[in-house]
Amino acid sequence: MSLWDFYARNSQEVLGLVGQHLYLVAISTGAAIVIGVPLGILLTRRTAWRGPVLGVANVFQTVPSLALFGFLIPLPFIGGIGATTAIVALVLYALLPIVRNTYEGVTGVDPAVREAGRGMGMTDWQLLTQVELPLGFGVILAGVRVATVVSVGTATIAAAIGAGGLGVYIFRGVAVVDDTLILAGALPAALMALAADGLLGVAEQRFAWRGK
Amino acid sequence: MAGEVRGGRGDGWTVGLWVLAAGLLSGCGHRERIVVGSKNFTESDLLGEIVAQQIERRTGLSVERRFHLGGTFVCHQAITSGRIDLYVEYTGTAYTAVLKHAPVVDRDSVYRTVARDYLQRFDLVWGKPFGFNNTFAITVRRRDATRHGLTRISDLARLAPRLKAGFGYEFLERADGFRGLASVYGLRFASPPTAMDLGLTYRALADGKVDVIAGNSTDGQIEALDLAVLEDDRHYFPPYEAAPVMRQAAITRYSGVAAALAQLAGRISDAEMRRLNALADVEHRDIATIARDWLRASLP
Repeated sequence: MSLWDFYARNSQEVLGLVGQHLYLVAISTGAAIVIGVPLGILLTRRTAWRGPVLGVANVFQTVPSLALFGFLIPLPFIGGIGATTAIVALVLYALLPIVRNTYEGVTGVDPAVREAGRGMGMTDWQLLTQVELPLGFGVILAGVRVATVVSVGTATIAAAIGAGGLGVYIFRGVAVVDDTLILAGALPAALMALAADGLLGVAEQRFAWRGK
Repeated sequence: MAGEVRGGRGDGWTVGLWVLAAGLLSGCGHRERIVVGSKNFTESDLLGEIVAQQIERRTGLSVERRFHLGGTFVCHQAITSGRIDLYVEYTGTAYTAVLKHAPVVDRDSVYRTVARDYLQRFDLVWGKPFGFNNTFAITVRRRDATRHGLTRISDLARLAPRLKAGFGYEFLERADGFRGLASVYGLRFASPPTAMDLGLTYRALADGKVDVIAGNSTDGQIEALDLAVLEDDRHYFPPYEAAPVMRQAAITRYSGVAAALAQLAGRISDAEMRRLNALADVEHRDIATIARDWLRASLP
């Protein structure tokens, strides 16, 4: 069976899995931004924590997903089998680029600009919200972009823990020796990653341009 | 003087490098090297290692190991494209998943068909089976089995509406998997079975997240996690006998390999395979050591 026949016959299921995939990526990247950006900002104020926090985020990147799922299954609230566990794992994987780029974006602001702000009598909060965050926004967005694109690919492993998504086709295809099935999952995931990269790339350029 | 010395040393270096390069090149060209693969689970790694060591011991060929490849699909692609020379496959898996035949229960006819079709279609030769049958094992927690008097899969039918099942993708998709099982035994679970990674189903069962899984009958975790395997009383599952599959070209080229592998035929029982798997999975012993000890004890 060709790929197009497969899509034509299973359009409902394909759309359902694409929807699940987008849901997993959106929720997990959203959560990673909500946790990661404040954490990155905190590190610029408490520089001693930088090493340990980035170290922990780094370690999460290196834990294989199946091992991570194995640890998460017995845990209450964030564990078990299904979407929650997959989202927790995806958030842990997305944290590093977001935290690191937030830190770099804020600390990368020209010291002279920061001094000027202080000279104008700005409080630390004003300095952060009116100078550092607007100027560092392009760098922070670059981190979000990396996290999103990587999440689109990584979300295929959600199928290993009963959370659905396009990985279902990949896992099924690998299990029954079927190229068409594997492609049926891999192709839309790749297109989704390219689309996310393109859209966030445009946004990033716009902000870089405004920064100048 | 100085020039001569320098020149002399330079020549010496050049000659040395040439000799070294020639040695390396001829080494690559003439060294007999057979590539053994395995699938991505313990039993396949163990059997791959046993096969590899047996070839090394009996033929003196050097063996390159390409272990833990991603399942049937990847191994099949690797061997048909000549990236590996042999790996251990299961008759039932080859019959249903690779050759896409409808499941059959008779052991000998499955083996005969698989051996014939592999030779005709892929130029691959099936060796004699090792002796054990690694069938799907419908597995529950032992305390549930005791409490509800579960010993056979038929016993499961009346309880199924109150139970949750978690199965690997292979079991859910295969012709000899869940759909056939559900219709033969009339199984209806509380909700459609959760599709997940096979290895994680054991953990999910032990932690009470699901109540029924389909493991493999020779898995070491069954005893370690205090689980019970239900009997396939209606003989639904086809045989899954493990045997080495080799490229025809490799057998012709490396004489002695087929004879070395023939010595392994019928040497590993179900219980023996479960014991070897448990040594690796539960006691975390090194696979090379387990294979060496087994070969020393069984085929001195």
